Amino acid sequence: MKRHSLVVLAVLGGLMAHAQTNTPGAPSAPRAPMLIYADSADFDLNGHEAIYRGHVRVDDPAMKLTCALLVADVPQAGGHPNRIVAETNVVIDFTDTKGQTNHATSDKAVYVYNVQDSVTNETVTLTGNPVMVNAQGTQAGDVIIWDRASNKIHFDNPHMIFRQNLNGTSADTNPPVTAIKTTNFPPGTIENIDKIIINSSP
Amino acid sequence: MNAKANIAPAWLAAGAGLWFVVAPGVHAQPNGVQHANNFTSTEYYGPTNQQQIKSILSGAEALPQPGGLLIIKQLKLEIFNPDGRLEWVVNAPECVYDTFKGVASSPGHLEVRSGDGKFRTEGDGFLWRQSEQKLNISNNVCTVIENGATITIKP
Repeated sequence: MKRHSLVVLAVLGGLMAHAQTNTPGAPSAPRAPMLIYADSADFDLNGHEAIYRGHVRVDDPAMKLTCALLVADVPQAGGHPNRIVAETNVVIDFTDTKGQTNHATSDKAVYVYNVQDSVTNETVTLTGNPVMVNAQGTQAGDVIIWDRASNKIHFDNPHMIFRQNLNGTSADTNPPVTAIKTTNFPPGTIENIDKIIINSSP
Repeated sequence: MNAKANIAPAWLAAGAGLWFVVAPGVHAQPNGVQHANNFTSTEYYGPTNQQQIKSILSGAEALPQPGGLLIIKQLKLEIFNPDGRLEWVVNAPECVYDTFKGVASSPGHLEVRSGDGKFRTEGDGFLWRQSEQKLNISNNVCTVIENGATITIKP
């Protein structure tokens, strides 16, 4: 499957902007740089690879990412990182092109960037218990892929997660009525259950 | 004996093809290795590309220590690719260079930038293995990546 602009973790956030198409005639400004902080790092200057360890934090105008381990291509002169892998307790906060904030967590996130036939492919793929929270609710899947160019998020085997506190009200967002009905329990009668997973159609 | 001839063997032990050029300000040491000021060392690529510079190492001062160690102050290392393009620039206020192992280290600060300046990283405490061109920064790492992209300013 050809994925236009994959997801970006953007650690790549800076990277994300790279895939954006500027409106002709619109004024533009240099993009702020991406900053990566870590306790320690190993650089292979021959292999053009950097490995960051410990309290890794990526600050980018388009997103924030934290994790325990980050492996990144060191771009060639004037180039663009082609692959960045974040592992262990990955947390990503980003704002999509519609201005909606998203909070994603996973065990691993892989950012891939390439250009084929003048088409920029830029994706971020989340695996390992990936969960994404936004205004629409909390969604999980086996794999979550964010296609930056189309601003679409794809879930493999998706399921909604509704968190409900002990007094029966939703702790996150109000779930759809149909979702509540699938539990066969009226609100407020479920005790000692703080999470209900309901399969939803893709 | 001039300074060039005296210091070159120590650096040659660290890497093949390393040439050493030392500016004035050299003082003889009891062990035969000299104290140098404002020195520059140039390394060339191998036999197939002898005219091409691989790296230039310079410093404000080199203080010989026992065991083939050199304390280098105001270190600057420039690494070039085979076509002559500047790839990396490394700066450190002070480090210890092991001339036998080809390893430089320091608990102090280090700055590295790509030739075009769009990739920059710094931190405190480092270990540099010359033959492998591998660098470990052990504390407070901060990397800046500028990809040259622009953002559209919405009216």
